[in-house]
Amino acid sequence: MSTVALDSFLAELDRLKADAVGTLATAGDADAVERARVEFLGAKSGRLKALQKLLGGLAGPDKPAGGKHFNEAKQAVAAALEAAQARMTGAVAAAEAIDVTLPGEAVRLGHLHPITQTIRRVQEIMGRLGFESVDGPEVEDQWHNFEALAIPPEHPARDPLDNFYLAVARGADPLLLRSQTSTVQIRVMEARKPPLRIVSLGRVYRPDTADATHYPMFHQVEGLYVEPGTTMAHLKSVLRLFASSFLGGDVHVRFRPSFFPFTEPSVEVDMEWGGRWVEMGGAGMVDPAVLRAVGYDPDEVSGFAFGLGVERIAARRYGVADIRDFYRNDVRFLEQF
Amino acid sequence: MIISLDWLADYVQVPATPDALAERLLMAGLNHESTARVGADTALEIEVTSNRPDCLGHIGVAREAAVLFGLPLHVPDPRPPEGAEKATESVAVEIHAADACPFYSARVIRGVRVGPSPKWLVDRLATVGVESVNNVVDVTNYVMLECGQPLHAFDLASLRGGRIVVRHAADGEPFTAINHKTYSLTPRMCVIADAERPVALAGVMGGADTEIRPATTDLLLESAQFAPLAVRAAARGLVLASASSYRFERGPDPAAVEWASLRAAALILELAGGTLEQGVATAGSPAGTQATIALRPGRVAEVLGVAIPAAREHAILAGLGFVDTSRGGEGSGEPAAWRAPTWRRDVTREIDLVEEIARIEGYGRVPENLPITARPVERPAREETVRAASGVLVGAGFCEALTRSVVSGRLEAAAGPWGGATALEVRPALVRGADRLRRTLLPSLVEARAGNVAAGAPHGELFEVARAYVGNADRGGDSPVEEPLLVAFVTGGGFFAAKGCVEAVLERLGVAGAGGQTTCRPLDHELFARGRAAEVLLARGPAAAERIAVIGEFSSALLAAAGLDGTAAGAEIRLDRLEFAVGRDRKLHRPSDFPAVERDVNLVVADTVPWADIAAAIRTAAGPLLEHCRLVQVWQDAERLGAGRKSVVVTLRLRSDSGTLSGDEANRVVQAVVEACGRAVGATLRS
Repeated sequence: MSTVALDSFLAELDRLKADAVGTLATAGDADAVERARVEFLGAKSGRLKALQKLLGGLAGPDKPAGGKHFNEAKQAVAAALEAAQARMTGAVAAAEAIDVTLPGEAVRLGHLHPITQTIRRVQEIMGRLGFESVDGPEVEDQWHNFEALAIPPEHPARDPLDNFYLAVARGADPLLLRSQTSTVQIRVMEARKPPLRIVSLGRVYRPDTADATHYPMFHQVEGLYVEPGTTMAHLKSVLRLFASSFLGGDVHVRFRPSFFPFTEPSVEVDMEWGGRWVEMGGAGMVDPAVLRAVGYDPDEVSGFAFGLGVERIAARRYGVADIRDFYRNDVRFLEQF
Repeated sequence: MIISLDWLADYVQVPATPDALAERLLMAGLNHESTARVGADTALEIEVTSNRPDCLGHIGVAREAAVLFGLPLHVPDPRPPEGAEKATESVAVEIHAADACPFYSARVIRGVRVGPSPKWLVDRLATVGVESVNNVVDVTNYVMLECGQPLHAFDLASLRGGRIVVRHAADGEPFTAINHKTYSLTPRMCVIADAERPVALAGVMGGADTEIRPATTDLLLESAQFAPLAVRAAARGLVLASASSYRFERGPDPAAVEWASLRAAALILELAGGTLEQGVATAGSPAGTQATIALRPGRVAEVLGVAIPAAREHAILAGLGFVDTSRGGEGSGEPAAWRAPTWRRDVTREIDLVEEIARIEGYGRVPENLPITARPVERPAREETVRAASGVLVGAGFCEALTRSVVSGRLEAAAGPWGGATALEVRPALVRGADRLRRTLLPSLVEARAGNVAAGAPHGELFEVARAYVGNADRGGDSPVEEPLLVAFVTGGGFFAAKGCVEAVLERLGVAGAGGQTTCRPLDHELFARGRAAEVLLARGPAAAERIAVIGEFSSALLAAAGLDGTAAGAEIRLDRLEFAVGRDRKLHRPSDFPAVERDVNLVVADTVPWADIAAAIRTAAGPLLEHCRLVQVWQDAERLGAGRKSVVVTLRLRSDSGTLSGDEANRVVQAVVEACGRAVGATLRS
């Protein structure tokens, strides 16, 4: 076996190291880096591999020094390769980087009308209190819109100018667009027996001239509770639970005497909102005449009813100064809810 | 009703500030509107509910205040001196319209000097917003505002024939009122006539011919009862509402007819001089019943949920003018029998007495913390259906609109898709020109879209859930008007954008899963452009298929009527016919663990063959291994396919629940599909 001079081995090693580091440092693209890797660190015929073979030819006493230098050179080349590869990856990443501040792909969001949202919120709160939502026709007859609600024929509420009567003749029982959702309560009571907890809701119609606080078509939510032994204390307690849930916090309610044909006693309901009493709707104990009209015995059961004007609540909740805005159907308005 | 506090003090001395009085009245049912200083006086404007005509006079409000503050009430007792001549010899009263006028009384005063009113009277009237006219007219107004009974004074010399005839007006009969406007009357209205012509519109307004003038010396003082309906017919029909008609529509105290007449006579003698003739000329008899009502012990607590001491109940009712006619009296344990005062005809039942006690005692005593028992609540199918459909459309980027149920004839020119030969009409119009109940929501939504386009809104993709109204009279249904519950939407996309939304709604509702089979077929309808619309039919069980949706690109006529530039499409779905779907139980079909095999099939058919026929043939032939059949492409090319032919490329995804499909198995399915399509729609395979 021929021997290899340590000096020439070390010189070869230094040359290789300088070549490798220089080539890798100046490699312009990933292909050049790869070619340099094969040339210097290739497992089969790389130049480092060739020098490693010479290591065995060193004289015995020279071997530790040769091995040490070889390892140093190998590490230096490997480090240079790593640096070059990292440089290449960085360049690619930079080329593919995105402007993360650009807007995302637009998803058009739909919106429920604020009136619907208000109604649903009322329904949900009342649902937790055991009230079921019910629905009924908007075109009504005299019985359900007036008579069963203790509104006799001579009552001003039945005046043709105060209602939307249908033009079609139907004998002595002209039809009209319902002026209150209490009509649905009558229909439910006619069909079912107590105990009963319902909320009726929907569109109602009264010939008011449209202005900031009136519209001839609007929405009502009306609750009805009929069980033996019901008192005004139940009414107040239910409305207080409702008010506390709807407005948040521990809200008190206040009753002021009022008059509605289908409740007796009748009250206006005020709730504390924003530090003051705000009128939220009307309420009262179901008039015995109404209970009798639907076949209930007022000595056996009693009940209460209440009604809320949805537009009024929604207007206050959302800061809508003119309720006609609810009916303009402007997407710029609807999108805010 | 405006109350002068200076005037109120004649009847009750309230030791409270105007604000405290207003607050106390408010909490007893007289809503406070405003407080204003008028000179040295204070005007308190209160809202009086229609059941309380007694509070349309100062005495009624004073009575409330007296009870609320526990004070005595002083009501004047007018006893004007009478002369020797008899009123019945000066005038004869006849009633020919007893339904409109149950009772009429006339007093006669001769030798008055008409002139200005004294300052106290001018001031009090000014406080309540009434302008002074002269001492006689002012007295009639003053007494009305004192007790709620309207009065009228005629110039006796202008009345012809010494007669007062109360009768219905003749059709078209002319009448010139004090405001010097002439009205044409109808027989529903009631007039006061002399021997020749109407001199007053009963309960509403006097006539110009017989009004009190500076030269008047003799006068006839009317105090009468007029029925609400006739008064309202005149006041509303002629748009001639007055303080008098307002009160007669609500029914003044029957006992006040005579009191007011005496009170006014006394004041006229005092302020204008003259001589009151003896007695009063009358016709009819005062209508009005006084109910006697039993109030059971403990009843108040049963209604209010809080007990009120019997002595307090008694004091409240007595203070309001009710009289206990029971023998047992207070504390006997027997029901009390309360006779209502004449001015409280609204109180006829025990529950009415309970309300009187409650409102005076105050509802603040009603407990507010009762436990409310829990009860199960189910959401009705209709509401579930509405929520599901709305949810899909909100998810698809639509905004919910609320359009009017009543529209103009311009928007109701086309029949709706749900029947009704003509739109039902309402009186009056909802807003100007809008007097038709709509049979479809679509025109309203197109109009709302047009508004958004005009306003430069970000988009006009809108939906609405509402009812339509279809006259049913000719079809003999249960209800004379059918009210289909609809969800409708409008989009700037085309037919297929709209159809995709309809399909998504039906899928969300689970129509197919609940056993509903839907088919789509061309529709020719005025709402839509020809050849660009469809109806969706639903078949369930043995019943005949019924229409559940219409879809289409809108006709140019509708777009023009709604004022929309450009095109739009939309659809309307009958939610009321889909409620069956939401309630069904959903049961899991566990996804297969085995891989799917996909095969593309390129079929060439005549271009008249609808996709539905091809899809039906594919599904039938492929059988249960077909997981999904997806339409990839439809194209036509006369050179490569031949004229009148089209290529339909579908991808079949096949999968078995029980094992991995082999290529052969998949190929056999494809073979069956191709053969079936050949038989059913004349398809050939294009390779």
